[in-house]
Amino acid sequence: MLFDGDFLKKLEYLSLISRRVFRGSILAQRRTKQMGGGIEFADHREYAPGDDFRHLDWNVYARHGDLLLKRFQEEEDLHVYFLIDCSRSMGFGNPPKFDLARQVTAALAYIALSNLDRIGIIAYSQEIIADFPLTRGKDRILSLLRFLEKLEPQGTDTNLGRIVNSFVLRPQRRGLAVVISDLFDPNGYERGLDLLRHRTYEPHLVQIHDPAEARPQMLGEIELVDAETDSVRKVTITERALREYRKVFDSFQAGVAGYGKKYGLGCTQTTNEVDFEDLILRMMRTAGAVS
Amino acid sequence: MFFESPGSLLWLLLGVPIVIFYILKIRLRRLPVSTVMFWTQVLEEQNPRSIWQRLRHLVSLLLQLAMLALLAFAVADPYFFWEARSARRIVIVVDNSASMNATDVKPTRLAEAKRQAEQWIAGMRHRDEFALVAAGIQPQVIVGFTSRQKTVSSAVQSLTTTDGPSQVADAVALARRLLGERQDGKQQEVVVFSDGRFSGVEELSSVLAPPSGGHEPPGTTDTLATSPTTNSTAQAPVKLQIIGTRAANLGITQFQVRRSLVDPLGYEILAEVTNASDQPVECRFEVDLNDEPIDVVPLKLDAGGKWSQVFEKTSASGGRLLATLKHDDALAADNTASAVLPRREIQPVLLVTSGNLFLQKVFEVNPLVKLTVVAEAPATVPAGTVVVYHRVAPEKLPAGQVFVIDPANATDLFAIGEQIANPIVTKQDKDSPLMSHVRMDNVLMPEARALTPILPEQTLILAEAVTKEPLFFAVNRPEGRVLVLTVNLDKGDLPLRTAFPITVANALHWFAGNKQDLRESLAAGSLATISSSDFARPAKSASLLLKSPAGELKPLPAIERMTIGPLDHCGVWSIIEDPGLADSGKATAPKISDKTQADESPLLEIACNLANATESDIRPPEELLANTVTTSPVLAGLGSRPVWFWLLLTGLVLTTLEWVMYQRRVIS
Repeated sequence: MLFDGDFLKKLEYLSLISRRVFRGSILAQRRTKQMGGGIEFADHREYAPGDDFRHLDWNVYARHGDLLLKRFQEEEDLHVYFLIDCSRSMGFGNPPKFDLARQVTAALAYIALSNLDRIGIIAYSQEIIADFPLTRGKDRILSLLRFLEKLEPQGTDTNLGRIVNSFVLRPQRRGLAVVISDLFDPNGYERGLDLLRHRTYEPHLVQIHDPAEARPQMLGEIELVDAETDSVRKVTITERALREYRKVFDSFQAGVAGYGKKYGLGCTQTTNEVDFEDLILRMMRTAGAVS
Repeated sequence: MFFESPGSLLWLLLGVPIVIFYILKIRLRRLPVSTVMFWTQVLEEQNPRSIWQRLRHLVSLLLQLAMLALLAFAVADPYFFWEARSARRIVIVVDNSASMNATDVKPTRLAEAKRQAEQWIAGMRHRDEFALVAAGIQPQVIVGFTSRQKTVSSAVQSLTTTDGPSQVADAVALARRLLGERQDGKQQEVVVFSDGRFSGVEELSSVLAPPSGGHEPPGTTDTLATSPTTNSTAQAPVKLQIIGTRAANLGITQFQVRRSLVDPLGYEILAEVTNASDQPVECRFEVDLNDEPIDVVPLKLDAGGKWSQVFEKTSASGGRLLATLKHDDALAADNTASAVLPRREIQPVLLVTSGNLFLQKVFEVNPLVKLTVVAEAPATVPAGTVVVYHRVAPEKLPAGQVFVIDPANATDLFAIGEQIANPIVTKQDKDSPLMSHVRMDNVLMPEARALTPILPEQTLILAEAVTKEPLFFAVNRPEGRVLVLTVNLDKGDLPLRTAFPITVANALHWFAGNKQDLRESLAAGSLATISSSDFARPAKSASLLLKSPAGELKPLPAIERMTIGPLDHCGVWSIIEDPGLADSGKATAPKISDKTQADESPLLEIACNLANATESDIRPPEELLANTVTTSPVLAGLGSRPVWFWLLLTGLVLTTLEWVMYQRRVIS
């Protein structure tokens, strides 16, 4: 069972030590610039005809005779969207990358819910295959876990760009978009992330790969079967080819890291052998939320 | 092309599974991966080699089938007709006799013979068979016919030197018998490596035909004289490779010692030196006894001359005699010679007589006799004492050695009768050591009495009268030896004859065991028959060892009479007790003990000398040297390897090629 009692205990533990994580640097502090009916005083401005008298600062007027209007910063809920890759390539590895992806999603979502943020989960492969609507409150965690538990790797052609295209067209508030995937997208992961950025979402990447993907050991005449497309490729794998493969893979990983760095995005790269708890703690330490 | 084992070609059927496996190999191992996009990127760079990549599997299959075919054909052992036709069966005869130790060819003739034999063996071709026969002392098949070059080569290297005579003629006969056992159409040949110094070389040379030419290119060497000859008779042809030069050699060809027949302390040495060279030689001949020089003789020998001399010396102690020629020549083995001089022991003699001057003096003049004269026999006699009863003898003769002369009364060993009418010796036992050098024919034995031995089966009649009455007889009883001589010494002329002291001396020797007069020096290569009675002392242990001059020990069988040898090296051979068993006295299996522990006084020593004029003359016969042409062995060339070897070699090359392809395909 992916999400058992121990897992919930760990979630609680993580939520306790991760106060304000989503408002910290890891997910960028997203306090709205909109002035409005909040409770936190921001500044004064001169009264203009038509302003609401209820916001006049009578104390200032009594002392100085100036009509000044009190301004308050309006606080909004932070919306966190989790885009979890459910393609069949995520089912690869031992343990499957998809397990870690779901655990990380659950952990981050629980922390967000603990901070009274709103979260939504979009499971996708070649299209959006499941949607957990925006929700708020820790009491939703169980239904969230059930949602994640039901997810399975599926689909034949991952295309993050197409998914994001349909995602951003939704009538919803902007927020944090956490993409949890191996990013093995034949069409390129950049287009989808670019689209998120352009639509003023704040993308954060959690990239998971299997060590066997990074350092394959097979040699000889082999038929490679693509886990997503089921396409077969007959190859003769030599030591030299392995070396070339490692170079290509390392270059891909470096490209992902470089993309995040270039656009100031949060980027976490990990293998599926890492425990989700350690991974979350590592992300928190990177963000400075825990020491 | 023919096949020795055509059935092995069935191995070619293994090609079927190879092809099947090749076809099955098309269905490659399937391996799921999360994505092939990285592999696509990698493999796109290798596209220029795609044509080769498609072909290399087929090439690999063809290579594997070729390897299988080569292996199958190799196992079938193919051969060509010309191979079978030119196959040879050669017996190599190497002379390892004494003369082959000559150093006129460096390092020795035998080493050179081995080297040349190795050259012949190196020319061994596939389907050739070689055998090796050693021609020293006794012709011996060292290794039978084999096609394995290394076996023959190792056997040649294992040949050791001997000091024995050459037996090349017998070895050639043995080689021909070996060849005669197999008649399968192969060319047969006997190749002899010798210096030509062997008996029968003339006969062997006479049946040898002139060089046949053919595949024998002429050539010469600096030190070797070679005469290739071929026998065209029905027997296998013989090639005689003469090794050696006409080097000069001076050798001791005879060296013997024996105790003097007249002087108990004296001994006589017979020495002979032969100059086997074409030039006169001056040298010095020295004789040492137990490392003490006893004589030195300057010698001057003409070319081919011979010197011989008998030395008369005295010594009671005996020991080892060593003769040395002070002369440098090519053969060292005959520059020294050994002999063993038996030790003389003092013999106590108790003469019981009322008085007889002849009898008393004949013992007194013997320096080895410690004489005691008494009128009446004592109650006890010390052990080892010879008791001589003159006229009066006890009725029961005591145990030990007893000599009864002119008995007047009967004893337990003989009855006495009347006087013999005509007591003239008409018959004597010439074979008995008691009668050696003694002639008693027609000797008058006055007042001789008719004696009747009571133990006839243990009695040996040494001299008898015409009427068959014994006049002189010996009784070999278990408790001691007895001699009885019936003669009145005062009235006959026997004491005045030389036969009398010799008879007494013989009797004393017989009582002493009669084994210390002569120990003949044997020629190298001889066999020696010995018995325990020849030992200087009784053996404490049943386990005996034969110790060579070089100190090597060999166990001897624990039997009374044995033949040892051949004694293949010059020097003094010893029979010793196994020190490991001598103390315990247990008659267990003999074991070879450490050389240093086996230094007890030997039971028996046997001198062994070259003593062979033929071997000392190390000059090869001139007639053989006259036609000096070197016979080069047929070079094996590629033919030294069978076809299967080349097939395997090719298979190995193909395997290497396939391995390289595999490495390039999979690993590198």
